[in-house]
Amino acid sequence: MMQTGRLFQGGIEHPHIGSALGYLRGPRGDVPPHVLLPRPIGRTGGNLPHGQTAGYLGKPHDPFVLNADPSDPQFKVPDLAPPDYISTVRAERRQRLRDAVDAGVRKFEASSAAQQMDENFSLAYRLMSSTAARQAFELDQEPAPLRDRYGRTRFGQSCLLARRLIERGVRFVTINMFETVFDEITWDIHGSRPFTDISEMSRLVAPNFDQAYAALLEDLQQRGMLANTMVLAMGEFGRTPKINPAGGRDHHPGVWTIVLGGGPIRGGRIIGESDEQGAYPKTRPVSPAEVAATIYHGLGLDPHLELPGPQNRPIPLVDYNVQPIKELF
Amino acid sequence: MIPALCWLLPLMLTPPAEGDGPSFVHEVLPILTKAGCNSGACHGALAGKGGLKLSLRGYDPDADHHVLTRQNLGRRVDLAAPEQSLVILKATGAIKHGGGQRLVPGSADATRLLQWLAAGAPGPRTGERALTRIEVEPVQTLAKLEQKVALRVTAHYSTGPSRDVTRWAKFTSTDDLVATIDDDGVATVKGHGEAGLAVWFNNQVALATVVAPYPYPEVSAQAYPRHNFIDDHVNQKLAQLRLPASPPSSDREFIRRVFLDATGTLPRPEQVAAFLADTRPDKRAHLIEQLLASPEFVDYWTSKWSDLFLVSTAKLPQQAVWAFHRYLRRSVAQNKPWDQLAREILTASGSNLEQGQANYFVLHQEVAQLAEATSVTFLGMSITCARCHNHPLEKWTQDQYWSFANLFSRVSLKTGERAGEVWVQPRPDGDVMHQRRGVPMPPTPLDGTPLALTAPEDRRVAFAQWLTRPDNPYFAKAIINRVWKNYLGRGLIEAEDDVRQTNPPSNPALLSALEEDFVKQGYDLRRLMRLILNSAVYQRSSIALPENATDERYYSRYLPRRLSAEVILDAYSQITGVPTPFTEVHAGNTGGISQTADYPLGTRALQLPDAKVVSRFLDAFGRPARELACACERDQEASVRQALHLSNGQTLNEKLRAPNSVAARWVEEKLSDEEVIERSFMLALARPPSDAERQRFLTQLTQAKDAPRRELIEDVLWAVLTSREFLFNH
Repeated sequence: MMQTGRLFQGGIEHPHIGSALGYLRGPRGDVPPHVLLPRPIGRTGGNLPHGQTAGYLGKPHDPFVLNADPSDPQFKVPDLAPPDYISTVRAERRQRLRDAVDAGVRKFEASSAAQQMDENFSLAYRLMSSTAARQAFELDQEPAPLRDRYGRTRFGQSCLLARRLIERGVRFVTINMFETVFDEITWDIHGSRPFTDISEMSRLVAPNFDQAYAALLEDLQQRGMLANTMVLAMGEFGRTPKINPAGGRDHHPGVWTIVLGGGPIRGGRIIGESDEQGAYPKTRPVSPAEVAATIYHGLGLDPHLELPGPQNRPIPLVDYNVQPIKELF
Repeated sequence: MIPALCWLLPLMLTPPAEGDGPSFVHEVLPILTKAGCNSGACHGALAGKGGLKLSLRGYDPDADHHVLTRQNLGRRVDLAAPEQSLVILKATGAIKHGGGQRLVPGSADATRLLQWLAAGAPGPRTGERALTRIEVEPVQTLAKLEQKVALRVTAHYSTGPSRDVTRWAKFTSTDDLVATIDDDGVATVKGHGEAGLAVWFNNQVALATVVAPYPYPEVSAQAYPRHNFIDDHVNQKLAQLRLPASPPSSDREFIRRVFLDATGTLPRPEQVAAFLADTRPDKRAHLIEQLLASPEFVDYWTSKWSDLFLVSTAKLPQQAVWAFHRYLRRSVAQNKPWDQLAREILTASGSNLEQGQANYFVLHQEVAQLAEATSVTFLGMSITCARCHNHPLEKWTQDQYWSFANLFSRVSLKTGERAGEVWVQPRPDGDVMHQRRGVPMPPTPLDGTPLALTAPEDRRVAFAQWLTRPDNPYFAKAIINRVWKNYLGRGLIEAEDDVRQTNPPSNPALLSALEEDFVKQGYDLRRLMRLILNSAVYQRSSIALPENATDERYYSRYLPRRLSAEVILDAYSQITGVPTPFTEVHAGNTGGISQTADYPLGTRALQLPDAKVVSRFLDAFGRPARELACACERDQEASVRQALHLSNGQTLNEKLRAPNSVAARWVEEKLSDEEVIERSFMLALARPPSDAERQRFLTQLTQAKDAPRRELIEDVLWAVLTSREFLFNH
């Protein structure tokens, strides 16, 4: 919901904000416009989460998914560089031969999955032929002290990689701190296995986040990038104000906090507040759609711009009656 | 100060359900539900809201009555001055309410609520009549774009008159692109096709459908080709929608397609040639028989059922994986009836190394998890939501969940003497407690007959009997749907493990007809597959007509789909002549890898029993982890990672470069450019190149005269082996 500005309903797959951006502005250079690190959110109970793809904008605008762990000492984007026996000439020849296989093209005209397959080969080819694109992912070019500063965790190194990618032309990077809540220490502090304990959150999860997030903001600032890079830390709901019998906190969609900054956002302020219990908003409630409108506005896009939805029905990025959070600009 | 309000008690707009005063269960709770008071976003949340916690959508009337009238010293109701009750003041927004105004003062619902308070706020009455079902009309409407269809919902009770409850029902559409529906039950047709309009009232569900034919000429079902009864139903639906069907596939298209869908292998060029030369009018039927009897068919379906039953060393010892796989393979080879397989698995006893199917219980040791896995695997239904509260989308209640779970609470597991051995036995005692009530529920197979808690028989046997009864409404449909999806690319119910009343099949008549035949003929899977493969619908071309290009639901054409990971890998091995070595297995949870000699060179990916065998290729192409009984585990999407792996990764490249690869042979045989091109196309695509394709390939080869011959041949093979046409079945 937070990644599209809309709740998933009626079977309609709205696009991730990053994919909408990529759709509207296209790639900058050889790198994909929207990158997802390190992997999509997977099992969290119920269905696989929606809102991580380009939805009705079409698979060509799906994020480029890393599918590797940047904190792995052997980290590299799998198969990004051609082997030594595939020269540039040879790679080109293969592409041209592959493109020449088209007598069956009519069978795939109505198949979006097939279009996607070809798009992927084009994108793969562009990526592997571009030194700039490959270098963007070469995390080992970053100095070790800086890598330490972010923390040698999956999240920490993903944040560093994100900064590196933004620096080299990627327009939008989504970093998933976790891919599942089962059998892993995460923010899902229900208090008993396979979920997480409150003490583990305070001991492991929060410090991990703090270190990486602070490093990211500092790093962006030092490079003069913070002025035109928005950074958002968000989740899909909060936790119950009351501790449950297992000693944890359950899901609570009543109220929660997100953190925004960078780019045109005026930082150093608090918008809205919850009641004393932390149960629901007391003043200035903010909806997910408003957050989406804020992001689009911050990117210089009209939040009510219409995109072709399913069957070409025009759908605005954000519903017409929703405005960006004006207190932030 | 709470403002004084004057309320006139108007004439009763709706007669009370029965007896004195409005019924809490049948009137008050529906009013609160419709107003959203007990929704998941408000007081129905696990933690409630503002100190008031109601059951989600009113599934627990007793608790709700207590909370509203007794909790907190009964401050929520004022029986002496009903209009001053907190519950009415908040709901009408007369005093500050976080949820805003949910009931308009003076409205019929607000008035009824007030009448209930005035009658002393009675709770659920003993002997009160029960809601037995709801009915929605019109059940099916043939409509045009922008047409509005108003639904009417009638509640039927165990005694007494039925009631129109439209006003309190909740409405959702299964496809907003075809029809949207508002809170008053009025649907608006937005697009062509068919949409289900799901109605929910007081934990009962019902379904209406609206059909908006495409703007094409009227057509009779007889105008479409027909091979067997499957086509009767498919064609009926196409005719109703006025969707034209694509023409039949060519023989060349058909042989490649059916080989892949039934056996996961490609036909060899000589097999293709023989089939094309065959002049028998029923040659397709013969080909189908041949494939159904082949060993590759057994491998393919053993692999599919191994996905379904989670055969993997992730949770099973190595020997157990072998035993379970052996059992499944034998069952496929014997064409064991599906009901027999289900009974054998669900009532398995003994050593898991002898009775491979007993590993089902080794995999699912926690009672609730075993119940949920069983529901998904054999019924295609996910009941997980009902663990904590009544299912919001389905009719299953929390009570039913825990009654169902208690069928699986008497399984004992004991470590045996041999490595990996576990003894599975039924126990004479043991119950699982209802999560909320804290008591054991009489074991009940969903909407079947409850067993006595004290009954000594193996509860699993009772469940297996209910499951495999000829009139079980879910069992046969679930497996038919899975098989159908394999061949047609889209289930009659999508997803195959999302069977629920509010997710109707795209062709209910077809599914029922298949079910009737399947049950009557003894749950024979090969027979079912034979029927499907011989049908005209399966044999349609994948080339879309302009009119049916957007149809992905009604089978107006064959839906191209990406080959699965194992099939692609095996095809690469088959064509290049270079088998894939499987010499490593992921061990343990921490990412270790150990060597294995269990899979001699030549073992095909479809023959692997264990999902933990190391293969970056299979992972990149979406091999399921076999950790969750969910069809969603297998990822059939195309990704850039796959394209990168095929371009730069080792799998395909190493096969092409290997000393024993087909490319090496062709160099030795000094094949001409034309021959290389021709053979590559025939091997990979079961067809010769078109003139244009041949020309373009020749041009590329001529331009590259300086490159080593070996490399050029590899490049030609690479091009056809990574083409869309190769990677898809179509």
